[in-house]
Amino acid sequence: MRHAPHRGPVDMPALFPPWTNTVFPAVLAFSALAIPAAAVGLMAFVRSPWNTGQFEPVEQPVQFDHRHHVVDDEIDCVYCHRGAETSRFAGIPATDVCMGCHSQVWSDSPLLEPVRRSYFSGRPISWNRVYDLPDFVYFDHAVHVKKGVRCATCHGRVETMARVHQVAPLSMGWCLDCHRQADAGRLEQGQQQAYLGNTSMWGATVRASEPNGAWERHPVTRLTTCTACHR
Amino acid sequence: MPFDNGISRALNSPLGRRYYRSLLEQGETNPRAEPELSSEAGEPGPQLTRRDLTALLGASLALAGLTSCGQRPREKILPYVRAPDGVKPGVPVEYATTMTLGGLGTGLIGTVQDGRPIKLDGNPEHPASLGGSGIYEQAALLGLYDPARLTGPVHEGIPSDWHSAAEAIRGCGPRAWFVLPPQSSPLAARLIEQIRLRLPWSRFVHYQPLPRHAVYAAARGTFGRVLETHYRLANARVALALDADFTASMPGSLRMARELGQRRGRNTSGSESRLYVAEAMLSPTGSLADQHLSLQSSRVPQLARAVLQQLDQLGLRGKVRGAAPSASSSTDTRIEAFARAVAGDLARARGEAVVLVGERQPRETHVLAHAINQALGSFGRTLYFAETPLLAPEGGSSLEDLAAAIAASEVDALVILEENPVFSAPPSLRLEHLLPRVPLRIHLTDVENETSRLCQWRLPLSHFLESWGDARALDGTVSYAQPLIGARHESRSSLELLALFAGREEGALELLRALHQSDAQRSEAEWEQRLQAGFAAGSAFPPIDVTLDAEAVSSAVQAVSASTHDDGALEVNFTLGKVHDGRFVNNAWLLELPHPMTKQCWGNAAVLSPATATRLGVESGDVLEIAIQDRKLAVPALILPGHADGALSLDVGYGSAGDGLGHGVGVNAYVLRTGVAEHFSVGARVERTTMRVELALTQEHFRLHGRDYVKSTSLEEYRRAKRVAPEQRSPQRTLLPTVPAAGIQWAMSIDTDICSGCSACVVACQAENNVPVVGKRGVMQSREMHWLRIDRYFEGDVNAPRVVNQPMLCQHCEKAPCEYVCPVNATVHSPDGLNEMVYNRCIGTRFCSNNCPYKVRRFNWFDYSAEPSTPLLQKNPEVTVRERGVMEKCTFCVQRVRRAEQRALAEGRPSAATEVVTACQAACPTQAIQFGSLAAADGPIRRARADGRSYAALHELGTRPRVTYLAKVRNPNPELGE
Repeated sequence: MRHAPHRGPVDMPALFPPWTNTVFPAVLAFSALAIPAAAVGLMAFVRSPWNTGQFEPVEQPVQFDHRHHVVDDEIDCVYCHRGAETSRFAGIPATDVCMGCHSQVWSDSPLLEPVRRSYFSGRPISWNRVYDLPDFVYFDHAVHVKKGVRCATCHGRVETMARVHQVAPLSMGWCLDCHRQADAGRLEQGQQQAYLGNTSMWGATVRASEPNGAWERHPVTRLTTCTACHR
Repeated sequence: MPFDNGISRALNSPLGRRYYRSLLEQGETNPRAEPELSSEAGEPGPQLTRRDLTALLGASLALAGLTSCGQRPREKILPYVRAPDGVKPGVPVEYATTMTLGGLGTGLIGTVQDGRPIKLDGNPEHPASLGGSGIYEQAALLGLYDPARLTGPVHEGIPSDWHSAAEAIRGCGPRAWFVLPPQSSPLAARLIEQIRLRLPWSRFVHYQPLPRHAVYAAARGTFGRVLETHYRLANARVALALDADFTASMPGSLRMARELGQRRGRNTSGSESRLYVAEAMLSPTGSLADQHLSLQSSRVPQLARAVLQQLDQLGLRGKVRGAAPSASSSTDTRIEAFARAVAGDLARARGEAVVLVGERQPRETHVLAHAINQALGSFGRTLYFAETPLLAPEGGSSLEDLAAAIAASEVDALVILEENPVFSAPPSLRLEHLLPRVPLRIHLTDVENETSRLCQWRLPLSHFLESWGDARALDGTVSYAQPLIGARHESRSSLELLALFAGREEGALELLRALHQSDAQRSEAEWEQRLQAGFAAGSAFPPIDVTLDAEAVSSAVQAVSASTHDDGALEVNFTLGKVHDGRFVNNAWLLELPHPMTKQCWGNAAVLSPATATRLGVESGDVLEIAIQDRKLAVPALILPGHADGALSLDVGYGSAGDGLGHGVGVNAYVLRTGVAEHFSVGARVERTTMRVELALTQEHFRLHGRDYVKSTSLEEYRRAKRVAPEQRSPQRTLLPTVPAAGIQWAMSIDTDICSGCSACVVACQAENNVPVVGKRGVMQSREMHWLRIDRYFEGDVNAPRVVNQPMLCQHCEKAPCEYVCPVNATVHSPDGLNEMVYNRCIGTRFCSNNCPYKVRRFNWFDYSAEPSTPLLQKNPEVTVRERGVMEKCTFCVQRVRRAEQRALAEGRPSAATEVVTACQAACPTQAIQFGSLAAADGPIRRARADGRSYAALHELGTRPRVTYLAKVRNPNPELGE
């Protein structure tokens, strides 16, 4: 078979217009920046309060004010959150705990109407959970409190909150911040001061009853094994 | 024409393996390499084009991204309104209660989490449990949450209420018949007395589909009174079990299993024991036997007589006055040889020997056994007699009496409590035709079934965890059932319904307290103490001295027929299997549990021996037609080495037409029965049909690839070699880095010498660890989820194999092959030696499962726990409920480990190594499973590992498992050969 003879250059129209010479590198440069930025941005987002729900006051069915109960009345945390020293859950008080006082004081306050309704109807008050760990995490209040971790270490200064908000990010990294190190001193100065500032009686009941606490005797256990929290 | 079904090849194969789990494995000289998960691709979907598939993939990826948008919804917290005393949210509470089966109570401890019963275990203080539990005790919990349960009274198909039912009961005529399960409850006795006063013509049928009447009839004939035989295996060196599955299904089995387990410390006690078992269907007890004889049930009496004759010849008859059995009787040579060897051994162990007989055997066998035990000097040493706790041990009136009375129109009212006689009674009684002729018919039942469909009143029955009650244990100990939860439906217990008939208005609690207070010496404090313990200490019946009636023995000797069956006719055994007599047929855990010996799930089959199968020309799965007189039943065959020739065994209780999960699972073996007290039937004609069905068998799942996982030896050999696995003692070289181990190092040891394969541990694990049920089809696709399986190995001749049971669970290898292949680090090692599974990291590649040589990892093919019938209330809140697409496996009950550690930390104690008991360990009736820390110098694990029987499965792979086994050491009688 014979080939057609070569006839030299042909005037063929260009496939891409000249402006593509500018746009194409620009797109490349943008992608090179935007894709990592998107990844970094998403990672930043999941750690931000927008995702963790930190610092967002939670509405409750009863306008319960911790400031009044803790500061003015000097009621201890575990008076209401009874499970903190013995159970996985600190717990929300049963309606009859509220009524223990409020059948005598403020017994006709309209603010307490939902409490009275619950008490007399036998239907529980439907509180909104503020600290919500994922269901695959097994956290135990009792062991933390018994070893001297103050309530405020994780829950912040609840006595200053009109409506309680979540202080800690409750991320796995936050748990590991303590449990990666087995050094009580560093934890006390670092983590605790950040939320607490000073030592106050509502810091922790264990601390209050044992001035030098279990803290020194039982330092933070280094716990990085998965099944410590995930089973 | 010689029939080739693989068996004959197996029989003749010189290359057959030493250990095999099924005939297929034994017969194959070159096992096919088969994928471990036989159906890799999930459910076959509709045909997709490539274009559609790409579009779907893209869309699902985009949508999957969207699912992570948005915050989780705010959770609610609902506290108590008035907090009950002693209840702390998140802290489990334990209560003692009692489960009644066949009228006899077993003390249990129920764990309640936030008001929900989530686990049952044996009560360590209770004489009938000693802390152990069986499959029924473990699985009974699930019945509480059965979605098929009746929710309220129904009258003529229309929802009604208890008020109207009580009206109807008040108007009931005087000739009321009650059909109720056997009773030992002191309260029931009182109520029945009161009913008799109010309704003088009332009659009571204490009904049980497979009753124990022969036991009591024999005692009455031999000793002149009805007595219970209590075996004390702790004192027995040589035991002969005649058709007696005394470690798994007989009343009192939990206690006997414990005693046998303690007796058999081959290396520690120094005195070897020997167990002979003669039975038709291979039972868990049979798998423990040192010497097993497969024998048709109908010929077990001949064996008993032959043993008695041999003892007579050995001169032990002097103790048994009366007629000597005639020396010449034409039993076959197999029985003769076995009897000679056994009798010699029993005679040598005089005073330390015992013969046990199962309730399946006729009266004569029991009488002969009494004579043998008397001759052996067993009375008061290895067994004793005491009063029976049952109110009507021989049943009172019978179903035949009831049928006759209905036919004569002499029944005004029929009240059936708990039982389902229309389903379980022999068809010759024609109950389904007779029942509608009774004017008032009341059925107290958990689910709607054959009987309740013929009754005007269907009343919902309370679960025993919802109701107050009492019962006596086998030894007479009064035990109390206290509710762990309020009634979930408008239901009542049998005792409460009897109280209605007795005209009592109070609830069961008030009746129990009144009964307690009727004895002025008992204080309120004692009542509290009894409830807390679950039983009244010291209320067991004292032993009774007996004198043997020689006449009864000689007539029993005469009565044993020496005739063998004519050729072609087979014996059919009706056996109590996983679903008991049918009362657990709706229990998903038991349905899915592989049968301890056949490894069949979801149904029953006619079990037969390889030789009988060859004679009939059938393979497993071929449908047989069994005909006894005019009754016929089509049932699939299942070949089991070790089964007696010339016999079939059929589990009863399946094939129910009642509501619930068990509807239509298996076939109803009761239709073949001719008499109400029949445990086996001779003269069955069996033919093979052209049909075949696929059985859900797990015995060939997770193939062994030609490796020997298990070791066993004989006592003689063991004494010579001192170790079963000497090659495992030398240090192993490894390329992998050595991880320093400090502190508690968890490990387990399992004694296969005392593992009967009863499977209580499997159910306990399922309950504790939220293990899902996958259904029959899932099992057939090898997708069962059990974290712990029991591999049953046969060794030797397929006609008379030796059996080894090996519980197989995650071995928590120190050099775990699964860990190196996981691309996302979802399975890692903890510093205390656990192989951890992190569900959140798992992306479901299944590499780990493929690389696991023990085949103990399970994959969630579907979101099983999202099934609407899943009882979420039962789920253990301490264990994650797994989703579709993740791997799971045994965790060594890490939730219990961590909880114990946290408690120790919270209380300022140093270590929790001795406090952790895994779920399987807690359940095991023989205490074959030990768990603890390797670091504890005098701990159970160190002791077990130092034992010469200790070995690691697949040691040669270098995985260094943390689970080690103690090899089975058999002590066969040299006279009988191996």
